Amino acid sequence: MGASTLLLTGNIDTIAQMSCNPAIGGQAKGQMVREIDALGGEMGINTDLTGIQFRLLNESKGPAVQSPRAQCDKKAYQFRLKHTLELQSNLQVFQATVTELVFTGQKVTGVRTNLDIEFSGVTVVVTTGTFLRGLMHIGQNKNEGGRLGDFSSKTLSASLIKAGVKLHRLKTGTPPRLLGRSLNFSKMEEQRGDASPTLFAFHDTRDPAGLFHVEQNGEQYIGWQPGSHQVSCWMTHTTPETAQLVRDNLHKSAMYSGEIEGVGPRYCPSIEDKFVRFADKPRHLLFLEPEGRSTNEYYVNGLSTSLPFDIQLEMVHSIPGLENAQLLRPAYAVEYDFAPPTQLYPSLESRKVENLFFAGQINGTSGYEEAASQGLIAGVNAVHKVRREEPLIIGRHEAYIGVLIDDLVTKGTNEPYRMFTSRAEYRLLFNHGSAELRLLHHAKAHSLVSSTRLARIEEKKRQTDYWITFFETHKAPAGQGTLGDVIRSSTMGGGAMPEFPVEFSSQSEALRQEVMYRVGYQGYLAREQRQIKKLSQIEKIKIPPSIDFMQVRGLRKECAIKLSATKPYTLGQASRISGVNPSDISILMVLIEASRGGAKR
Amino acid sequence: MFRSTDTIVALATPMGASAIAVVRASGPDCTALAAAIFGPTPLPPRLACHTDYRDLKGLILDDVLVTFFKGPHSYTGEDLLEISSHGNPFISQLILNDILARGFRAAEPGEFTRRAFLSGRMDLSQAEAVMDLIYARSERALAAANQQLRGSLGRHLGKLTENLLRVLAHVEAYIDFPDEDLPPEDRHFAQEELASVLRGTERLLATHHYGELLREGIKTVIIGEPNVGKSSLLNRLVGYDRALVSTEPGTTRDFIEERLILGPHCLRLIDTAGLNSSPAVIEKLGIEKTVERAAEADLILWVLDATLPCPTLPTSIMPRLNSANTLVLLNKHDLLADHPPTAKPPEGLPALPLSALTGEGFETLATTIIQHAEAFRLDRGEDVIAINSRHADALRRAREGLITAQTKLINQGPVELLSSDLRSALDAFGEIAGKIDNERMLDHLFAAFCIGK
Repeated sequence: MGASTLLLTGNIDTIAQMSCNPAIGGQAKGQMVREIDALGGEMGINTDLTGIQFRLLNESKGPAVQSPRAQCDKKAYQFRLKHTLELQSNLQVFQATVTELVFTGQKVTGVRTNLDIEFSGVTVVVTTGTFLRGLMHIGQNKNEGGRLGDFSSKTLSASLIKAGVKLHRLKTGTPPRLLGRSLNFSKMEEQRGDASPTLFAFHDTRDPAGLFHVEQNGEQYIGWQPGSHQVSCWMTHTTPETAQLVRDNLHKSAMYSGEIEGVGPRYCPSIEDKFVRFADKPRHLLFLEPEGRSTNEYYVNGLSTSLPFDIQLEMVHSIPGLENAQLLRPAYAVEYDFAPPTQLYPSLESRKVENLFFAGQINGTSGYEEAASQGLIAGVNAVHKVRREEPLIIGRHEAYIGVLIDDLVTKGTNEPYRMFTSRAEYRLLFNHGSAELRLLHHAKAHSLVSSTRLARIEEKKRQTDYWITFFETHKAPAGQGTLGDVIRSSTMGGGAMPEFPVEFSSQSEALRQEVMYRVGYQGYLAREQRQIKKLSQIEKIKIPPSIDFMQVRGLRKECAIKLSATKPYTLGQASRISGVNPSDISILMVLIEASRGGAKR
Repeated sequence: MFRSTDTIVALATPMGASAIAVVRASGPDCTALAAAIFGPTPLPPRLACHTDYRDLKGLILDDVLVTFFKGPHSYTGEDLLEISSHGNPFISQLILNDILARGFRAAEPGEFTRRAFLSGRMDLSQAEAVMDLIYARSERALAAANQQLRGSLGRHLGKLTENLLRVLAHVEAYIDFPDEDLPPEDRHFAQEELASVLRGTERLLATHHYGELLREGIKTVIIGEPNVGKSSLLNRLVGYDRALVSTEPGTTRDFIEERLILGPHCLRLIDTAGLNSSPAVIEKLGIEKTVERAAEADLILWVLDATLPCPTLPTSIMPRLNSANTLVLLNKHDLLADHPPTAKPPEGLPALPLSALTGEGFETLATTIIQHAEAFRLDRGEDVIAINSRHADALRRAREGLITAQTKLINQGPVELLSSDLRSALDAFGEIAGKIDNERMLDHLFAAFCIGK
C-alpha cells in the first residue's frame, strides 16, 4: 500500500517470537493462514520456509475441514521475519517501549516511549500481546512480564483507561520446556510429518522470486527447501502418579489458590483443570515437540500448569520417557490486560478514540493466526483511515478472518478467543485451497498483492470457473447425466471418476482439487450460497453512525440499549446481536430508507 | 438497494371464519409459484381468475379466485399474488401450509408494508406510521409466541435443542480437535440421541393444532342400531356445506368416513355398522369393529329412533359413554308429530331431537358439536401446543435436516456434511425460540470432552 510506517517493539530480537508452541496452523487456523497469504500477508511463506514438520489434519475428512499445520523452527521463524521487516520498503523498525499514547482531543496523534522520545502519526495500531500489565505465576511466585525473561508494559494501560477504553484481565499458560538429550524417546510413540507436505503460501500464484525475496535483496537467507528434512514429534502420556501429584498439590497452584483473576481458555486447560474437571479420565496425552533444528529444546504440549516449580519437576518425572528430564524453562501462567473488543468498529478502529486501532491479544484473542489476521486488517485500515478511504471489512460469508472480527466486535469474548471451524456458518465454503479465490476481490480492491500475482489469481479463477461449467454442462457417456453428476456420485462414495480431458489433467493439482471439490460437493455448497444470498441484502446496508437508537420510534427498549452498546456497522451485524429480532431490523430498514430517501426522491 | 431476494407469504385476512380468506404472496418468485399451482398459462395481471387450487400432492383444496399483480403495480411494488378462498380458517391454513411447503418463507410481522414502503409505494412521510405498524404487529406476534414458549412448546423445544446441541457437540469435537486424545467416535450414541430428537420433533409437529386437524380431525363416531338413520345423518351433516368436504373412502369397507368442517374445527365423521342385538356371524365382525372405533372416538354420536324404545348397547361400549364424549340424537323427530319421544336415553347423556329427513335440529347439533370440540381441546390442557404455521414450517424443516443427518450417520457419510444437516435443524429450532449461539454448542463440547493438548 506504500504507506510510511514505523514499527516500535520492546525488543527487536523477539519480533515474531512464538511464546507458546512453535506451531502454525491447525484446525481453522490453517485456513486462516492461507487467507492471510491470499491478502498478501507474510505468515504462510514464513512458515513454509522455516517449518520442520508438516501435517494435514483431518486428511480422512472432506476438504472443507482439512487444515494444514506445521511445526516451525522457532528461531528461524523469528529471524526470517525480522529480516523481512528490515528489508521492507517504507517500514522503519525501532526498538522502544511505548509508555503512553499521545492524544489530541478524542484522537490519538502519537506515542511516547520509555526514553521520552515522542513519535507522531496519523493512525496508531496497538498490539500488546500478553505484555499489557503482564503478570506471570508459578505457584505462589509472581513476576511481572509478558513472557518468561521479558518485560511488562505497565503504564500503557493507564493511558488507555484515561482515554476511556475499558480494560479487563485474561489468563493463559504455557508448559515447561525440556532438554532433548535427557529424554528417553524409545518409551514414546513417534509422530512423523506428511511425506508430501501441504504448504501454506500459494506458491502457484506467488512470484517464485518472491519466495526467496530476502535472498533476492542480496542478503543471507535463513531457511531450507520447504517441507524437506522434516523432524518428528513424540507422544507420551500422564500416569496415575502425575494425577496424584496434581491432586495433592492443587492448593499450591496459582489457578486454584485464587491468585489469578483472569479467565483462561477452555480449549487449552492447565493440567490441574484436566485432572479436576475430567477426574474419571485415567490419563492425558502429551506431545514432545522440537523447538527447532539447531536446538535440543522440547516443548511439552499438554502440560500447561501454574503449579510451583518443585511440583512441576516431580510431575515431569512421573511421565514415561521423561523420568530423567531436565527442565530448561518452567511452566507458568500469565495474566494480562485486554480491551473488550466490542469497543471497536469492524475496521478494528476504537470507537472511543479516533485513529486508534487494536489487533491481537489486546482484543481478547489467543493464537498467532488470529493475531496475524487482525494485524493485517488493522494495518490496512489504519492506512485507509489516513487516506480517508473505505475500510477493508471481510464478511462472515467470505473467510474465517471475517468470522473472527465480526464475532469480536459484535459479541465480544469472555475467554481468550480461538477460532474453530464450527464458528463459521459457511464452513463448507472455507476450504483452505479456495482462500485466494474467495478473497480475490479484496486483494484487488485494496492493492494487497502485486499486479503479476493478481493476474495469476484471476487466471486461476477463470480456469476454475471454466472447468466447473465444463463438467456441469457436458454429458457423461451411458446416460449417467452430466460429468458433474458422475463426479458427485463418485465423491459421495459410489463409482469411478469419469475420464478427464487431457487439458484438465494437465492443470495444477491445486486447481484440479478445487474444481473437484466445488463439483463434488455442489449441493451442499449451493445450500450455503443460498443462505448467503438470502442475507446478502442486510449485510450490505450500512447503518448511519449518527442514528441514536434510543430515539428510534418502535424499537423495543432492550433492543435499543443493545444496539447503542454495540453500535453495529451494518444491518447484518445488528441482526447478529442477541435480543435483536427481525422486526427490529425491519424498523431500522424503514428508518434508513427514510433518512436516505429524503435526498433521493 | 432494498430489492427483495425472496418471496414471502402470509394470510392477509384475520384468522377465524369469514366470507372469504385471502392468502398473499409477494416477491420475485410469484410467477413461478402461480405456474406451479395453477398451471403453466400465465395469469393476466390484475384480473381475478376462478380456478382450482391444487396442492403439492395434486389434491384440490378449494376453488379459489386468484389475482396476479405485476410489480411495480402492486401493493408491495413487487410481483404479488392474491388467492381468495372460502372463508374457513381450515382451508386458508391448508393453502398457506402448501405454499410454505413449496419453499416460500412466512412473512415477518409487517413485512408486506415494509416492502411497500421500501419499494417506494408509500410516501416518505408515512415512514413513522410504517414503523409503528411493524412495532404493533411484532409486539402482538411476540406476545403470542411468548405465551406459547412459556408453555409446553417452549419446554419441549428447549429440551430438543439441548439434546441436538449435545449431538452436534459430539460431531464437532471430531472435526475441530482431530489431534486430541478423544475417545473413539461413538456414532451409536449420536444415532440414539438423534433418533430421540427426531421423535420429539415429530411429536411436537403432531401436536401442531392444524396438523392434527389435517391428519386426524376430531374423531367422531356415529353408532346406533340398523335403520335408525345413521347414514342419513351423515349425509345431512356432510351436505351442510358440501363445498368444504372432501370424501375419502373408509379405511375398511365396513366404514364410511367423511371430513366435515364446523366453525374452526375439522371432524372426521365415521359411520359404523349397525349394532344389531342378535347379529348374524358376518355382522358380528362388523360390530366388533364398531366397538373398536367407539373406543378410539373423541366424540360419539349415538343415533336413536325417537319412535322406538331405547335399545341396550353392548357392554363393551356402554360404560365408555359420558356427557363429555357423547351426544344422543333422537332422530325421526318429524314422525313424532308433537308426541314425546318413545326413546328414553340413559340419564346423564345430553340428547337432541332432530330429523335427518327434514333437517330440523341440525343448527343446534352443529353448535353443540362445536361446543364439544372446544371442550375437547381444553381437556387436553398442557398437551395442546397450539403452534402457528410459521412454527410448524420451521419444525418441518428441522425434521428434514434430522432425517438427512440420520441417514448420513447410518451410512457413515462425511462428518462435515452431517454437521451441516444438524445445523440446519438447529437453525430451524432457532427460528422459533430465538437464534442459538454457537457458544452453546461449545459449552456442551467442552463439558463432554477434555480438550487441550
